[in-house]
Amino acid sequence: MAADFKTAQPVEYYRRFLKEDVRPDGRELGEIRHTTLNIGSITTAEGSALVKLGNTTVICGIKAELCNPTAEEPKKGFVVPNVDLPPLCSPRFRPGPPSEQAQVVSQLMADIIQNSGVVALEDLCIVEGKLCWVLYCDMLCLDYDGNVVDTCVISLLAALKNVLLPEVRVSEETGDPVTDMEKKLPLNIRKCPVATTFGVFDDHYLFTDPTNEEECLATGVLTIVTTEDNKICCMHKPGGTPLSESRLQDCINRALTRAEEVRKLIHETINSVER
Amino acid sequence: MADSVGKVVIPGDVLSEFRASEKTSKVALGPGLRQDGEEVLVTKSGILRHKEPNLYWIDCHQRRYIPAKGEDVIGIVTVKSGDVYRVDIGATQPATLSYLAFEGATKRNRPNVKVGDLVFAKLLVANKDMEPELVCIDSGGHSSGYGVIPANGGFMFHTSLNLVRKMLSPNCDILKFLGKNVPFETAVGVNGRIWVKAKTVKDTIVVANAIASSEHMTNAQIRTMIRQLLDKLSGF
Amino acid sequence: MATEQTLRSFGCEQNLLSRPDGSANFTQGDTTVLAAVYGPGEVKMSEEIIDKATLRVIFKPKVGLPGCAEKFQERVLRNTCESVVLATLHPRSAINIILQIIQDSGSLLSCCVNAACVALMDAAVPMKCLVSAVTCALTEEGQIVLDPDSKQEKESSAVLTFAFDSRENNVITCSTKGCYTPEQYQESLSACREASKNISSFFRQAVEKRMSKELKVKT
Repeated sequence: MAADFKTAQPVEYYRRFLKEDVRPDGRELGEIRHTTLNIGSITTAEGSALVKLGNTTVICGIKAELCNPTAEEPKKGFVVPNVDLPPLCSPRFRPGPPSEQAQVVSQLMADIIQNSGVVALEDLCIVEGKLCWVLYCDMLCLDYDGNVVDTCVISLLAALKNVLLPEVRVSEETGDPVTDMEKKLPLNIRKCPVATTFGVFDDHYLFTDPTNEEECLATGVLTIVTTEDNKICCMHKPGGTPLSESRLQDCINRALTRAEEVRKLIHETINSVER
Repeated sequence: MADSVGKVVIPGDVLSEFRASEKTSKVALGPGLRQDGEEVLVTKSGILRHKEPNLYWIDCHQRRYIPAKGEDVIGIVTVKSGDVYRVDIGATQPATLSYLAFEGATKRNRPNVKVGDLVFAKLLVANKDMEPELVCIDSGGHSSGYGVIPANGGFMFHTSLNLVRKMLSPNCDILKFLGKNVPFETAVGVNGRIWVKAKTVKDTIVVANAIASSEHMTNAQIRTMIRQLLDKLSGF
Repeated sequence: MATEQTLRSFGCEQNLLSRPDGSANFTQGDTTVLAAVYGPGEVKMSEEIIDKATLRVIFKPKVGLPGCAEKFQERVLRNTCESVVLATLHPRSAINIILQIIQDSGSLLSCCVNAACVALMDAAVPMKCLVSAVTCALTEEGQIVLDPDSKQEKESSAVLTFAFDSRENNVITCSTKGCYTPEQYQESLSACREASKNISSFFRQAVEKRMSKELKVKT
């Protein structure tokens, strides 16, 4: 009976639950789904992480390659994020070129990396104007159940912390780069950005960490990315229900608390992995 | 806001203090106005108009035609399919026109309508959720001016919806004054299409130009403009 | 914290293209965006939505082909317009908004939103309310510069763009670059909100100007 009601009147179905300050999956409005993190699961990549936020699963692999820096910025390397939403993760994606959603999330990731300064591009330079690292950060969604942005950011940060780069010297005789596989160094992570997404339902209810169903019914979505020095490095609200100043402030406070929890989780996981 | 009648309003403005009809104590909201709970909101930018006793609407410069029931339009037949014609009237969807909706048409005796013909028709069904439907007869089964516009020598052109409404309003002089000086036939569709035909091609073009250029003119200006045009026409 | 409380001179021209149903040219300082609106018109079968109009934004950069960043902008602009357009009044139709960048010298996103809003109004697409956008930049010293040009944007530590609805002045869209504290965020927000009221009243003046002939005729 409940299932029929949900199919016929999804909005009304949600309204009944929200009136009681609970969501259909049993969470409270501000509750975030259980987050699981696994680091270093891909051995062939320089760094990797698998994140589960409820059912939403994203795996991030980072591949490092040597390349030449551009002439305009000879001291800087590159970080190239890419989010892939294959048909595997949800029936709403079709095979073929990247969907609009995938492009939008990829661009958001690129913005977050740039705005937060999680990796200083200067750190990726090996020989000025000659040689630098390019980090390809590929995030692959395995199960799409809403809130991919938050999940992608966690996976990206954890994977970056997991990266080990071999030492590179330029041989004086030939001028070719020589890598020393014995001596591997971790990347210098300067900031720890963590995203928190909120959904607005019926122009009134504000819930954290929306599932796919909730995202479809939501009248607005808001993503806040914060760093550990309590700064905001991205505030993304693409349209939707207009929000007042006080509600935005409430969201910011909640995002700061949530970010603390996630950073603790990443820290603990990294320490538990033997290297 | 009875005092904002005749003034410019923009989307999001809240209106109040409408003058209701004395008999029914109701207010009729026309295009551009919307009721949301207890409030009346403006949805289009333009000038608020009022007609006694209780009708309010927004006068705006819209170019896209939104079909409304009972309006007269000029359409172009695009497809013949089965027992209906598909007619382009400039709306979001083509309208349908049954072959039985012509004067004297029966199952045996089909009207002679070809793809590309112009039809002057009335909207029988116009609803945002349904395909618009046209007819070329009145309720008594007579053509009363509707039907296929003959394709010998006329000229159809597009104008803004605003101009068409202005032309059709009783206190506008364009057609009256023009008709006194140049004899011509015309069909005016509220979807912004006007068809004219005069004795010669030259006259037809003059009439079409006079109509097209009269959008932002007052009656006095229109008279001067038409006089000038006619002087030119007769070679002064 | 001091604020440079002035917007650059802005202006707009409506109904300047003959083919589209509505068009507008919006200028903020040297930044110029040309917007055209087609619709409600015929919709592709694959994009048809049964109970409302499909909104589409096409963002044309000044040079080069649109890429990932443009898709992102398109999505932001589309969602912004969707939240003010009454799409349910025209089910199974399409409203296309085309934004052509004429010149970019800072505050591009806010200029795009404003241009789209005027063009939608010009096309008489039914709307809940208007949307007005303002960009501000935070300098290294923490000063707020409203409506920055490209030089000020480059030198700043953060650039924030807000779009407000014209009724309650709440935030419809927010897009930011760079790092800033929550306090700075709130201050920028209130500065932009004040400035957005200027733009809202400008919209009304623009319509009055456009309708001036009709206003005179009847009175």
